[in-house]
Amino acid sequence: MSQTFTYTEEELVALLKSNDKRAFEYLYDNYAGALYAVILKKIEDTILAEDVLQEVFVKIWNNFSTYDTSKGRLFTWMLNISRNLAIDTLRSKSFKKQSKIQNSEKAVDYVSNNINEDEKFDALGIRNQLNRLSQEHKRIMNMAYFEGFTQDEISKQLGIPLGTIKTRMRAAILELKKILQP
Amino acid sequence: MTKEEFISSGLLELYATGISSQEESRMVQEYLTKYPDLLEELKQIEISLEKYAQANSIAPAASFKEKLMQRVFPGEEDNKVTAPVIYMKKQGGGSFIFKLLAAASVILLLVSIILNYTIYRKYHDTKDALQIAQQKMEQQDKSNRAMSEDLNVMTNKYAQPVVLSGTAKSPEAVAKIFWMKNTGQVYVDPTNLPQVPAGKQYQLWAIVDGKPLDAGMITTKKGIYHIQKMKSFGKADAFAITLEKEGGSPTPTMDAMIVSTKL
Repeated sequence: MSQTFTYTEEELVALLKSNDKRAFEYLYDNYAGALYAVILKKIEDTILAEDVLQEVFVKIWNNFSTYDTSKGRLFTWMLNISRNLAIDTLRSKSFKKQSKIQNSEKAVDYVSNNINEDEKFDALGIRNQLNRLSQEHKRIMNMAYFEGFTQDEISKQLGIPLGTIKTRMRAAILELKKILQP
Repeated sequence: MTKEEFISSGLLELYATGISSQEESRMVQEYLTKYPDLLEELKQIEISLEKYAQANSIAPAASFKEKLMQRVFPGEEDNKVTAPVIYMKKQGGGSFIFKLLAAASVILLLVSIILNYTIYRKYHDTKDALQIAQQKMEQQDKSNRAMSEDLNVMTNKYAQPVVLSGTAKSPEAVAKIFWMKNTGQVYVDPTNLPQVPAGKQYQLWAIVDGKPLDAGMITTKKGIYHIQKMKSFGKADAFAITLEKEGGSPTPTMDAMIVSTKL
């Protein structure tokens, strides 16, 4: 949906705290695609993934009062909800995590071929730039940020010592910043 | 750990990606409280990751949003998102004038219908009255013409009036004949003949050289008796009128003679 206006993060949060329906719609229009992609990384079945996405937005709406701005940005909070709900769903459906780990590389490729054309955000331009990200930086960010693997799991998957994950992650995000900043 | 050491440790990044342990998260919170400018550092990391997530976004099915809106805002009508409805704007000033014109035209139509009906009724009445008047005039015209014919016959200078007196059978009966000397035309005035019984008719006879000759039937239609033209005779000894069966007889029934005369 086309929005003819933009909210600052502060405005959006204030409106959502006052149960503003338009703000909720704005939230959906601007973030549903990103959150849906995160869920799809865990749950390949689109019907189930949509169910989870719906639960995510219901939870965001109902529990918005629990969002604490001092702990991070709104999107980080929403992404955590999405990721955790996807993981919980997987567990409750007794999915095998192992298969998901093996599929994670495939999922990244799948995602990069599906662009939400409605996004005002210049996803395509940034995507092209993000191709410059090194493969190992991409992998560590995806596993942590999108898929919610623990440091222990990442260490085993990538074959790097637990202690270096912090610095590896920092390096990945520094590269990301560099690419994003003109 | 100094602030700089903390920044370069990568704990903020772990925290931002959501995989920091509970202990690490608590430490990050502590540093954020202690060094508020670290919030800006964290914000930049989060924004970068957010852009990364947006770049990888996948749109849910188009129908999904409506389903969600119905779930979150049940019973609200404006949750449909598929196609925006554009409402036609009512025109403020125009609508009153339009209504006024509409009302005026309806009133005019009603007045027109009533007027039409009234005029139609009047026209009909007039037409009926005219017809009656025309019929009356026609009748009067007819009787006028008959009367003027009667008068013409009576005042004709060649007309020889002959009075037929009643016989013993009907002493009251009188008939008059106007015999035109120049043309031989015979006119009879049956005004004073008695009423004709049903199925009967008066017949006029001319007696020529002792023989009775049929001079024509006398029409006494509708009880109106007028002078009427009969057959012509150049000469005649006498005239007589008998009551015969309708359509007449070849020879007069002598005992039915009503009037006669001798010239």
